[in-house]
Parts: sequence; C-alpha cells; structure tokens
Amino acid sequence: MGDVVTSMAFFWGLMLLAYFLMQNGLGILNDVVKSMCRFALGKALGPAIDFVEGREGSASKTWMMHGLFWLILASLFTFEGLWLAYDPHALHSLSSWGYSPTSTSLLYAAGFATLYGAVGMLIISSSFHIIPKLADTELASEKNGTLVSYLWTLSVLFLVIAAHNPEILGVNIFLIATILHGLAFLAVLINLLLTVSERKSALPLPGWLIMLGMLADPVSVVATILGGIGSGSVQWLLAHLVSGTFFFATLAGISLYVSSSATGNPLWSRSLTAVTTVGAIVTITPMGYTDGKMAADMLLVGFEEISMQSTDGIAVAFLMALAIVPVMALVANIMMTLRGGDAFVENPDSAGVPEINLGTSMLLPLAVASLFVQSDALSHNPELEGLSSTLVLMVIWLVLVPLALGASQNLYPSITGRSLLSANRSRWAFWMMGWGAFFGLAITMMADFAQIEAAADSTGIVSGEVRVLGAILFYGTAIGAIMHALNALSGLYRGAPVSKGRPTSTSISRDDYSLTTPTSVRRILAGGAHLDTTVVPVGESDETGSPTELD
Amino acid sequence: MMSSDSTDSVGEFIQGESEPSSSWVVLALGLVLSLATLILHGILFPGRDLPVISDILPVFDGVFDSGIWFFILGVMLGVFAIIATMMTEATSE
Repeated sequence: MGDVVTSMAFFWGLMLLAYFLMQNGLGILNDVVKSMCRFALGKALGPAIDFVEGREGSASKTWMMHGLFWLILASLFTFEGLWLAYDPHALHSLSSWGYSPTSTSLLYAAGFATLYGAVGMLIISSSFHIIPKLADTELASEKNGTLVSYLWTLSVLFLVIAAHNPEILGVNIFLIATILHGLAFLAVLINLLLTVSERKSALPLPGWLIMLGMLADPVSVVATILGGIGSGSVQWLLAHLVSGTFFFATLAGISLYVSSSATGNPLWSRSLTAVTTVGAIVTITPMGYTDGKMAADMLLVGFEEISMQSTDGIAVAFLMALAIVPVMALVANIMMTLRGGDAFVENPDSAGVPEINLGTSMLLPLAVASLFVQSDALSHNPELEGLSSTLVLMVIWLVLVPLALGASQNLYPSITGRSLLSANRSRWAFWMMGWGAFFGLAITMMADFAQIEAAADSTGIVSGEVRVLGAILFYGTAIGAIMHALNALSGLYRGAPVSKGRPTSTSISRDDYSLTTPTSVRRILAGGAHLDTTVVPVGESDETGSPTELD
Repeated sequence: MMSSDSTDSVGEFIQGESEPSSSWVVLALGLVLSLATLILHGILFPGRDLPVISDILPVFDGVFDSGIWFFILGVMLGVFAIIATMMTEATSE
C-alpha cells in the first residue's frame, strides 16, 4: 500500500472517530474536559482576555473585519505577482530597503494572505455566527473568539513574511507562524466544539459540514504525519485534504445556510447536502496547488517533488474524479435553494447573494478544469503545468473568495446589528471584484497558453503584453476589496439598525409562522414552514383608523 | 388666478435652501487657481521648468520608474481612506 492510500486510511479512520466522539461525547470525562476547555478559553489567558469585549456577535464581527482587511493585501500581492510575471524588475527600487520580491514569492505570499487571511478569517467569522444559531445556543466564549482573531492575523502576517524570506537573522519564520497558527486554530476549534456540545437540538447538516470541515484540518495533518509527510505525494495530499475540507466543506456549509437565510427559501435537498458532506470527507478535491510546498513549509519539513506509486496514482485519480459528485450536489442544491419555489421572500438583491451566485456558478467548471490539470500534473510528462498557477488563482478568486465574502456580507446585519452603509457601493464592489478577477485571470490564462505554445513552437506570440493586461484588469479586485472594507467599516457606525428578529435560518425547521396578510400556501412553505408548522393569524381589523382618545 | 398661483409656487420652488459646504468651495477655488497659475507660468515663462516642483520630482527618479507604482499608489490611497474613515467614524459624535 502506498503512502497516499495509507494516509487516506488514517484520515478516514480519524474522521469517523471524531464524528463518533462529537455525537457521543467522552463519557465520564465529558464534564471534566468541558470545564478544562472553558478555563483554557477564558481565565487561563489572564488579563489579556479582559482587553476584548464579549458581547454577542463581537467575535464574529472582529474576524470579519480582519478578513476584509486581509482581502485588500491579498488582492494587492496577487496583482503585483501577476505584474512581475510581465516585468520582473518593476519593484526593484524596493531592493534598497532589503525587499526584492519576485513574481513567485509574491504569488506564494498572496496564497497565504488570501487563503488563511481573507477566506479563512471570513469562514471562521461566519462559523462563529452560524454554529450557535443552528445549535440554538450561544458561542462558548465570545471574548476568546475575539482575542484569538489577533493571534490568527499575526500568524498570517508571519506566513506572508516567511513566503518572501523563510529565515531572517537565523530564525525560521515558518516555525513562528506555524506555532501561532496552530494555537489560534486550536482555540477556534475548542470554542466551536464547546458550542456544539451545548446544542439544544440535533445539528442540521450545514452545521455538520462546517464542523467536520473544521475538524478535518488538524485531522488531516495528523493522518499525513502518520502516513509519512516526508514524501512529496503525501505533502500534495495534505494540501488537497485541507483544500477539500477546511476550505470546501466549511464554505459549502456556510453557503447552504446563507442561500437559505438570504432568500427565505428552505434548503432544496437534504440528501444532496448529505452527499456533499460525505463526499467532501471521502474524496480528494482536485482544486488546489499541483505541489505540496505550502503544506511542507507550514509543517517545517523539506519540500519534495511528487513521485507517486502506481497504486497511489490509481487511487488518487479515482478519488479526484469522485470529488466532482459532491461539487455537483452542492452547486445544484445552492442554485435551487436560491431560485426557490418561484417565491423569493427576502430581497433577491440583498448584499452577498450575487457573490454566492458567482462562486456557485464558477465552482463546477473550475473543479472539472482542475481535475484535468491535476491529473496531468501527476503524470510522467505534464503538459498543462503552465496553467496550474493561474487555475489555482481562479479557484481562489472566483469560488472561495466570492463564497466566503458573500456569506459575510449577507450575515453582516445579523452579526453587527446594522446594515452595510450602502447597498449601491456593495453592488459596485461586487462588479469590480467579479469582473476584475474573471477577466484578469482569463487573460492571464491566455498568456499562459501562449507561453506553452511558444515553448513548443518558436513562432509562438509574445505573452508579455497579454500578461500585463491581465494584471491591470485584476486590479479591479483590489478596488473592490477596498470598497467592501470601507462599506463594512462605515456600516458599523452609520449603517441602518436592524431589528433583532431578522430571520436567518429557514431551511432549518420553523415552528410557527405569523400570517399578517392573505397569502398562498406556496409562499408560506417558501418561508420555511413545514407540514407541522403552526400558522398563527395576526389579528387585524378593516375598520378605519381614528385618533386615540385620551381620558 | 390660476396662473398667479403657479407663478408663486415656481418662485418658491427656485429659492435655493442649501449651500455647498465651505470646504468644497475652497477646494474648487484652489483647483481653479492652480490651473490658472500653471497657464500663466506657461505664458510668462515659456519653456522654463516649474519652480520647486521641478527640483523635487528628480528625487523620485528610479523609484516610480514602472507603471505598477500608479496602481500601488491607488491601493495606498484606499488604505489611507480606510484609516481616515476608522478615525473619523470612531471620534464623530
């Protein structure tokens, strides 16, 4: 049995164990462990914990704002990386300050800033809001959630520095970043697990998707260490396990929740949600880098090129092809939920919904394209390797970022208690980001094709001019990110206050439905009611109104 | 009678009630004054470099020698706008 299959066996076994423990607890140790975890999240941190506020939603709000700020840096690094692929000396004047970035180092740093800074922090922000709602309880520690966001930001900052220069003054920067990241992730995980342990009802499937996605990140690290992380193919596997669970599964859960809460429609299919949940854990997503450098660097092991045994190669090809099933199930489920049964109860133009639509629309074509590129990369004579970097950027900026950002934008009023400052600015930012990423990266991919052709045939066109056009168009994402951050920031202070009773979950059973005006049964069902829901007519009178008489 | 009423209402309607803020007036005047000074310099001293500015610009030679810097400048402006918004929103009543 090859390293990859062994690692996958460990991963599945550990995930089953984690699921069993989440369902059944730790037996007689339950209360002791819970008390210890509560202590670790609160009092154990000493005076530091008193520096942050512990109001409801404060943790989620802080993570969201951090994520939005990281989005600006991420888009800037990506833009610079794309530009330097055209003109490697564009930033040479910074060398006098000791900073000599290359296209590769900037895109590598952008990967950390986008995946762990922007997308990761927005995912955790939404999880801190959604999991307590679905579990019908409160977040175990708002204060710890808020405080840890700064630790996470610091870890991403170190990762970005390490991507440029892994060793400064003899100190391994990846080591510091990994320690900080591990601590922050552990705190987030304990916080969410404690919250779920206090659930008052069964956790709906989107909640399980989020929880299993979160748990799978450390589980996949343990599984691949047991399977032999020194091997290049296992490093590649770890990168894809994290990509398929922490990024894909959690975003799937969040998007399913938001598609329902934003539209007021019930989730279209429970069985498709189950397929997505199981599929995300059982398969290997093809979306991600074609090597395991990020995983190797974060685990402080030497990076190795991929060399897969034949049994591993067959298993990986099969599991990657199988990963299209959960992707299709998710896309169909979100699309049908967003469309609803002809009754879009909530505002169809509400902030975040266009982003969710974009991310969902791009998910399937990019997953299929990734399948081809990954299969090619694992072969002995890869021909499409030149496209892999741009394809990963497409997955990040046209799927992960829109889904994470869209969910945060839509949940913003429920989290902060205020609306975004301007719906118009939010729409503008969406168009800037969406079109900037789509056209910028599509044109960059055309330049990649031209470069592959040029390598094969000396008469190929020069791709440089095309490449710089792609970079300039991609700049729209930086402008969009700034507009989103400004909109969210001003909304915290001047956004219109929203009422507490805003519905945020409709797929997830609704016990009573207030009937204020005559309406159709279809509309009531679309509002989240089910056959056992009690329809409560709210009293009204046809008599004309008159001034209230004062005695 | 009818025409007299409508004339009165139009008269009220065209009375401006709001005024532009002083800051915008000063900014607009400053912009016009700068343009006028530039044009005047071109007429009075044709072919001569602008005072002060022509001495400062060479300092940045070798720094802003790629188009990328205009884009980075744009992002820097955006970041400063966020910092300014943060400060003003937090301190405004």
